[in-house]
Amino acid sequence: MTARPEVTALVERVCAVAAGHVDKTDDLASFPVEALDELRVTGLLGLLVDRAHGGLGGNLRDVLAASIQLGRVDMSLAMIFAMHCQQVAAVVGYAEPKLADELLPEIAAGRVYLASVTTEAGKGGHLLSSETELGVAAGELTIDRFAPIVTGGAVADGFLVTMRSPGARSANQVSLVYAHRDQLEVTASGDWQPMGMRASHSLALRLTGRVPEHQVLGGQGGFRQIALQTFAPLAHLGWSACWLGTATGALSRVLRMLRSPTGRGSADLDSELLLTRLSTARQRVDTVHALLWHTADVVESAPELSVPRVQLLLNALKITAAEQCYQAVEALIDAVGLRHGYLRGSVTGLERAHRDLRSAALNYSNDRLHLADGKLALLDPDVHLV
Amino acid sequence: MSTLDPRFVAMLEPFLPFAAGEPITEESDLRELGLDSMQAIELMFAVEDTFAVVLPDDALTEHTFATAGSLWQVVSRAMGDSVVTS
Repeated sequence: MTARPEVTALVERVCAVAAGHVDKTDDLASFPVEALDELRVTGLLGLLVDRAHGGLGGNLRDVLAASIQLGRVDMSLAMIFAMHCQQVAAVVGYAEPKLADELLPEIAAGRVYLASVTTEAGKGGHLLSSETELGVAAGELTIDRFAPIVTGGAVADGFLVTMRSPGARSANQVSLVYAHRDQLEVTASGDWQPMGMRASHSLALRLTGRVPEHQVLGGQGGFRQIALQTFAPLAHLGWSACWLGTATGALSRVLRMLRSPTGRGSADLDSELLLTRLSTARQRVDTVHALLWHTADVVESAPELSVPRVQLLLNALKITAAEQCYQAVEALIDAVGLRHGYLRGSVTGLERAHRDLRSAALNYSNDRLHLADGKLALLDPDVHLV
Repeated sequence: MSTLDPRFVAMLEPFLPFAAGEPITEESDLRELGLDSMQAIELMFAVEDTFAVVLPDDALTEHTFATAGSLWQVVSRAMGDSVVTS
C-alpha cells in the first residue's frame, strides 16, 4: 500500500529531521520539537484538513501510510502524529461550522498541534466515561479537569477534552470540548521517565478555563458517537500503523546490516537459525500489514461500525499489531545477538525499538480489550467474519 | 405515551441504575440511565429468556441500544419473525 507521492515526500522531510534528533529526545525523554516544527511547515498537521480550509485534503490511508513511514524512524513521533490526526478527524467530522472555520485553517497552517485529554484518575482508561462535569456559567462552559497523562501536553496548542455533560445523570454522558491553549490555565506536574516512548513526553495536566458553547464537538453528550465512529477506529488503526512502522524499520536496518560487506563477513547467512528468525520477523510484519489495510478497508466501507464483527476486527488489529510487532523485534534481537541487538548505539536501533514497542500491549491494554472481545464474541454465535 | 410491553420494562429495569424509579418509556435513553456496553451479553440473555427470541448480530448496533423504544422495536421484530418461521 503506497501513499500519494506528494505526501510521502513531505513525510520524508520530517523523517530526515527526526533522524537527526531521535537519539537526543530518547536520551532526554524530551518532546521532538524539531520534528513537530517540520510537521508544521510541511502542512502535515493539516493532512486531514480539507483543501477549502487550507489543508492537504488527505484521507485515512494517507494518515496510516505516514504513520508507518514516521514509525520507521521514531515511534514516539509517529504516535504523536497519529494521535494528532485522530483529534483532527474528530474536528473535521463533528465541529460546528463556526468552530470548523476558526480552527481548521489554523491546523492547516501548522499553528495548532492538538493533544487529547481523555485520561482521568480513577476510571482506569474507560474512554467512554468521565467523572468531571463541564460547568455552565454566563453562557460559557467552564473546564476544571485533571488528567494524569497527556501526550505532548506541555507543547500542544489546543486540547480536545472529554468531560461529563452538564447536568448528566450518569458517567456515560460525555462531551468532547475543544479548548485553545490561551483559553486555559495549564499546569503540568510530575516527571516523565518511561522505559520507552520517551519522546512522547506525557505529563499530568490540570486544565482550568472557559470556552464558548460552540466549542463542543458533536453536541452535548456526543462523545460516545465520536468515539465509536472516529476516535476508536483511528486510534487502533493509527497506533497499529506506528508499531508496524517501528518493526519494519528495525527489520530493514537489520537486513541492511547483514547484507553490508562487513555484515556478510561477520554473520553466517546460511545459518538456519538466523534465516528462520529473519523469516519469522518478516512473517509477523507482513501479517500486521495485511490486517491493517484490510481493517482500513472495512472501516471505510462498512455501513455500520458498531456491530460486533467490526468492533472485534478493530480490537483484533490492535492486539495483533501490539503482539506481533513487539515479537518481531524480539526475534531480531536474538538473530543478531548482544552487540547489535542489545546495546545502544547499534545501527540496528533494536534496543530502542524494543523498549518503545513494549508499550504497545499496555497502551489501551490488550488485557482489557480481550475482556471486551470475549463479550463481543458471545454476541456473535454464528461467527460472522468480516 | 409508553407502548412498551410490561415484561420488557421489567426486564430492562435491573440494567438501568440511574432510572431511579422514573417510568421507562420508548424515549428513555438507555446509556443515560446507566446501560453499560459490557452488559450487552447479559441483556441479550434476558431478552432470550423473556421473549424466547435471539437477536441477529446485525441488529446489535449502537442505534438498537440507544433507547428503550429502539431496543423494543428490534425485539418485537424478532418476535414477529419467529412467529412467522415457527
